[in-house]
Amino acid sequence: MGEWVATATHRQSRTFLPPADFCPLCPTKPGGFPTEIPEPAYDIVSFENRFPSLQPEPPPPAVEASELYPVRPGSGVCEVVVYSPKHDSTLAREPVEQLYQLVQVWTDRFRELGAHEFVDYVFIFENKGEAIGVTLHHPHGQIYAYPFIPPRVLTELAQSRAHMDQTGRCLLCDILRDERRDGRRIVSENDSFAAYIPFFARYPYEVHISSTRHLQALTDLSDGEQRSLAAMIKTVIVAYDKLFDLSFPYMMVLHQRPVDGGNYDHYHFHVEFYPPLRTATKLKYLAGSETGAGMFINDTLAEEKAAELRALIEPIVWQSVAAGGEEIGTSSSKTTDEEVSGD
Amino acid sequence: MQRRQITMEDGRYLIFYTFEDEIVSGKADNAEKVGHEEATTTRLAEPDAKPQAEEERRV
Repeated sequence: MGEWVATATHRQSRTFLPPADFCPLCPTKPGGFPTEIPEPAYDIVSFENRFPSLQPEPPPPAVEASELYPVRPGSGVCEVVVYSPKHDSTLAREPVEQLYQLVQVWTDRFRELGAHEFVDYVFIFENKGEAIGVTLHHPHGQIYAYPFIPPRVLTELAQSRAHMDQTGRCLLCDILRDERRDGRRIVSENDSFAAYIPFFARYPYEVHISSTRHLQALTDLSDGEQRSLAAMIKTVIVAYDKLFDLSFPYMMVLHQRPVDGGNYDHYHFHVEFYPPLRTATKLKYLAGSETGAGMFINDTLAEEKAAELRALIEPIVWQSVAAGGEEIGTSSSKTTDEEVSGD
Repeated sequence: MQRRQITMEDGRYLIFYTFEDEIVSGKADNAEKVGHEEATTTRLAEPDAKPQAEEERRV
């Protein structure tokens, strides 16, 4: 079918929802249970997954290839990024400074993993909540460094290229301009990023965060843009948690340019959230149409869901002092229909 | 931002990221509250037996 599938049978035995006392992502306490992190304290940690789907030096394929069924070793890297030493925390509960630090870590991992010759795409993501299927509750995300460009990104690249060829403009820049002008689907804006539920949202509370400047990857962000991205991610996930007064499950993915050496100036960096909840107690299932045909059916209107989230936006307050000694202060977000509709 | 990379017994790498002069996590249980003042700055504790360090560099 033209798509690769990774078989990683050893992952069947990976740790599954361990009790808090035996969390492998907590710091190893003196004399205590040895976790994955052999030190008593840390800020943010990234390490190779003990149960990787892809490896820098993979074993030979378990089965032989045929003319019909091509097979190749599972080259790549799978990392776990632990956001905090606090077992019961979530990214939404962390101060915005911690998210700013996480953005810096993501940038470093993108740069380093993208330099591997066998890596064509660096995919940064978080699965949050048992509804998504997480096996560890400790706040963490993951990075897959693929030896190919994954299909969903290929589709975005192709659409971006087609739009650029047709109009001479970036597809996401055009979408962002229209969303800001319309305002109904905007969730929040700050100096460098806008969050909105796209016109073509597949999930009821699907939010995209796009940079207002045309850029392709985390490594293109200035320090101020890194801070703005951190603030915007926190803005969105704090609003998520307030929606149903629960720790809101989601998938968060970063879409960046490939790292295969090609020219992707037509592409536009952004973050996408896919929350599985459509109400406090009901999941949006990927059923026959979504899974078998690839066509999503959304039971809600993006405009109504964006208004719900917009009403829950609260200002972000920076508690630390910036590197240059300047206090960051409060970063306000647009919170009312009146404020967002005037652009 | 500083990073320190170690190699674990099974050959996998692990990278510690630390940040000076900025608030880090693990201090304020309710740090999600806007304007909370209990968050403090900490440093990575020095381990009793540090695993083999492959490299140490400032980024």
